[in-house]
Order: sequence, then structure tokens, then C-alpha cells
Amino acid sequence: MADSVKKTQSTSSRPGFAWLGLLPFFAFGFAFEIIPILRLVRSAFSDSQGGLTIENFSRVMTPLVTQSFGNSFKLSGLTALIGMILGTMVAYAIIHTRNKSVRESVTALADVTTNFGGAPLAFAFIITLGSTGIITLVLKEFFGISLYPNFRIYSISGLVIAYLYFQIPLMLLIMIPSLLGLRTEWQEAASNLGASNLQYWRQIAFPILAPSLIGGFILLFANSFGAYATAWTLTGPEIGLVPIQIAALIRGEVQLDPEAADALASLSLVVMALSVIGYQLAIRRARRFQR
Amino acid sequence: MKDRGIWRGAILGFFLLYMIIPLIATAIFSVSTRWDHTILPEGLTMEWWTAVTTRRAFALTLKNSMVIAFWTVLLSVILVTPTAYWAHLRVPRAKPWMELMTILPFGIPGVILALALIRFYSTVPLPIINKPAILIAACMVISLPFMYRPVVNALEAIDIRTLTEAGLSLGASWPQILLKIIIPNIFPGIINGSLLVFTTVFAEFTLSNLLLGSRFKTFPIYLVEFTRFDGRQASALAVISFTVAWVASLILLRLVRGRTHIEEAVGAR
Repeated sequence: MADSVKKTQSTSSRPGFAWLGLLPFFAFGFAFEIIPILRLVRSAFSDSQGGLTIENFSRVMTPLVTQSFGNSFKLSGLTALIGMILGTMVAYAIIHTRNKSVRESVTALADVTTNFGGAPLAFAFIITLGSTGIITLVLKEFFGISLYPNFRIYSISGLVIAYLYFQIPLMLLIMIPSLLGLRTEWQEAASNLGASNLQYWRQIAFPILAPSLIGGFILLFANSFGAYATAWTLTGPEIGLVPIQIAALIRGEVQLDPEAADALASLSLVVMALSVIGYQLAIRRARRFQR
Repeated sequence: MKDRGIWRGAILGFFLLYMIIPLIATAIFSVSTRWDHTILPEGLTMEWWTAVTTRRAFALTLKNSMVIAFWTVLLSVILVTPTAYWAHLRVPRAKPWMELMTILPFGIPGVILALALIRFYSTVPLPIINKPAILIAACMVISLPFMYRPVVNALEAIDIRTLTEAGLSLGASWPQILLKIIIPNIFPGIINGSLLVFTTVFAEFTLSNLLLGSRFKTFPIYLVEFTRFDGRQASALAVISFTVAWVASLILLRLVRGRTHIEEAVGAR
């Protein structure tokens, strides 16, 4: 460390001066990221005279918004949980497949499909599971199962299915390195010491995988909590979800009350901030076993 | 043992079907005459493709998306590359702060970034609100992580200090060192980042819809309009979107064979 500091000074005459070179980057970050967000949070706590208040929060908490938070938590929690379980199962199946080309092509597919999202994806699901969608027709024709009217793709349960399309591949990409980190020697050592298969999973594998599983869950949760494009295309502006409600306030579809929008945005920023911190902590623990 | 093989096959099979059916269905739907009450399409036609691609709005929105993506990529490269190099060489203490700045966008959903920018720039005398410039700036913010990570990884893989000192001792100027020594050495990282930024920005709907909307229609906005108006033409547009993302991902896979980037997978939703 001391060595590198010395080296730095040998190529630099004035160390403080060197910070100037970073000015454009930080200026950009402050102008378009930090300051606008801080101003938004500040404004959420301001009344019309600029004094401090929490009135905006109580005003924005209409029954629709409360319901939206409930829906957003439900949708994010559910897709994160199902995505975590299915993604881990698929990851496990992939790394234990002996056929190398199957392994590579499924991983490549996951890589590509995490980039598919938003409007085109939502529309693909309308074609697949809409009221006249191909799977809807196949289920009715061959299995006598009528999805409609009990299920609708244009609803929260439809969103669960659509969100899983990008949640499962994301979980898979998180779990593959962790599962590869489980050495076969550990399982052999455990069984040599007389551990059963279940004991190995409960007492060795699971504690090692736990940080990745938790980190993955949090990332998936945050990923769907802020998602807007897919929900908007599938369900339109009326659905009770937090991002949709914030957007409605921006577009003035509801009423022109910018401070209320700021308050609502600040509340979801709290959720996102907790998620990002939780993810960083979990992933730091997980990486200890990956090298 | 055989049982487990069957389970693995079943899981992978279901996963593949779930991932592929919506894509294939969309592609077939876009060339079907009618496909809403029969298992197979009633006939095939290119009518929807011709109808949707000959509209003036098609070329215009495609061009708009390309313009936004192009400027975002170019400005991100210019903003991130020299800074990352400089921080690496001269101000290593600044690296955690840069890291923080590039991780933050993950925690800021598009709707909130759009709201924050609209609120802030309607109060300061910088006339970018309702102009494509604000969309480019917002896209640069959300793509900071995609640009920064690959460039830093590339910088860490080479000995930039020795390269720089060699350049300086041979009398090269700073711009010469950056353009002729450093950039060629980290070029794969820059291309990698640029492709990630390009796919993210090209598919970006939230920011363009909320920041500009009908003032400057991008391709995803055009697509969403069609989903409410003509499904078959919308499906042709969706196929185009998927193809763009798919081609970019394939190039990326070639570049970074064997490495997966989790953070980079969280993009425009």
C-alpha cells in the first residue's frame, strides 16, 4: 500500500491537482443523479413555503396508493421467491448436465433473455397467454382447461408470469457461480465422516449457498419493484402498482401535485436503498466461497 | 441416478419451453393472416410487416432510438474512459466514490429518475427539459454501471502504470498516451460496455415515455402504441426489438466468453 502511494506521487507533481481530472465525471453524476434525487427527497418534506413537513406523505397515502404498495410488495416478493426457487433449480440442472452443448446453449439463452424485457416482452405474453393466446387455445383444445375468465394476463397474476421471464434467468446467472463453488470434495468429505445426503445439504451446502440465495432474492425483489414498462404495457395506467402510480402523477393523469409525487417516490427510494444495501452485504459474503 | 437425470431433463425442458414459446409465438403471429381461435394460424402473410414498416413513423422512431442510443454510447465512452483511466493511475482514492456513483443507478427506478430530472430541471435555467438532451443524460445515468464495469475490468487487466510511464519517457503527450496506448489496450472492454449501453438504451421505454413522450417518439413508444391499436403490426415491431437485443447479446457472448455479468443483466424493465 505504502509502495503504491509512493509510486503515485512519483508520477504526479501535485496530488490535489489530479482530482481535477475527475471533475467532468463527478459534475455529471451530481448534476443528473445526486442533486436531482436529493432535491426530490427534500421537496417531499417541504410545504408550499419551503418549510419542513410530513404532510405530503399523509396526503399521498390514498387508499389507492396504500393498495399499490401492497400489490407491489406482493408482486415483487412473489416473483422474487418463485424466481429464486426455479432459477436455482434450473441452475442446478444446468451445471449437472453432462452434455456440454446443452449447458452452454441454456446459459447463453439465459444471458440473452435477461436483456428481453419491457414492452416487447409484455406483448409476447399477450400473444401467448392472452384471451386468444396460443397457450390459452392449446389448453382449451387439448386439455379442456379454460384459463379465462378466472385468469387474466392483464392483471397482477399475469404480471407474475411475465416478470418471471426475466427473474428466472437473472437468478440462474447469480446461482451458477455459487453452485460451481460447492466442491465435490466437500460432499465426499462429509459422506466419509458419515454424514447423510440430507445432512450435507442442510449443514454444509445450504449455509454456503444462503448468502447467494438471499442476495439473489433481494436483487430480484428490487428488479421487479421498480419495473414499469412491462406492467404498463400489460395492464395499462389503472393498475395499482407503485411505479405506475408515480408515473401517473408525473403525467398529470391524476392531479397536479408534484410534492405528493416526490413523497411517493421517496418512499419507494427507501425500499430500493434497503434492497441495494442488503444485496451488497449478501453478495460480499457469497463471494468468499467463489474463489 | 437415472431418476435425477430425468428430473434435470424435465426442469431444463420446461425452462426452455417457457423461454422460447413467447418468442416463437410472437414471430409466427406477425406473419399470420388470422390466429385467434385455431391452434395453427389460418394462413401466412407479410401484410403486417409491410404495413408497419412503410409507415413514416416507423423510420422516424427507429431513427430517434438510434440517435439516442448513439449519443448515449458516445458520450458515456467519452465520460467514463478517460476518468476511469485517470482515477486508476493518479487518484486511486477516488475509485470507491466512482464505484458508488455507478452503483447508485441500480437503486433508482426509471420512473423516479424521470421525476427527479423533471422536477429539478424545471427550476434551474438550463433549457433541456422536454428536449432529447435530457433523455440522453438520463440514459447515460442508467447506463453508467454498464459502461464503467467493463472498462475498469479491462484497465485492471493491463499494467497501465508501466504503459503510461513508457509513453511519457518516450515523449508522448497525454492525449497520445490515451488514444494510442491505453484505448487500444482496453478496446474490448469499451466495446463490451458500448454494446450493453446500446441494448439498454435502444429498449428504454420508461424514461423516453415520461421525459419526452409524444414530443420525441422512440421505437419502444411506437411499439406500445401499436399494442393498443393493432396487435399483428405490434408483433412485427416486437420481433424487431428482440432481434436487436439478441444480435447485441450474441456479439457480447463472443466477446466475454465464459463470464456472466449479473449486475449488467438488470436493465430496462
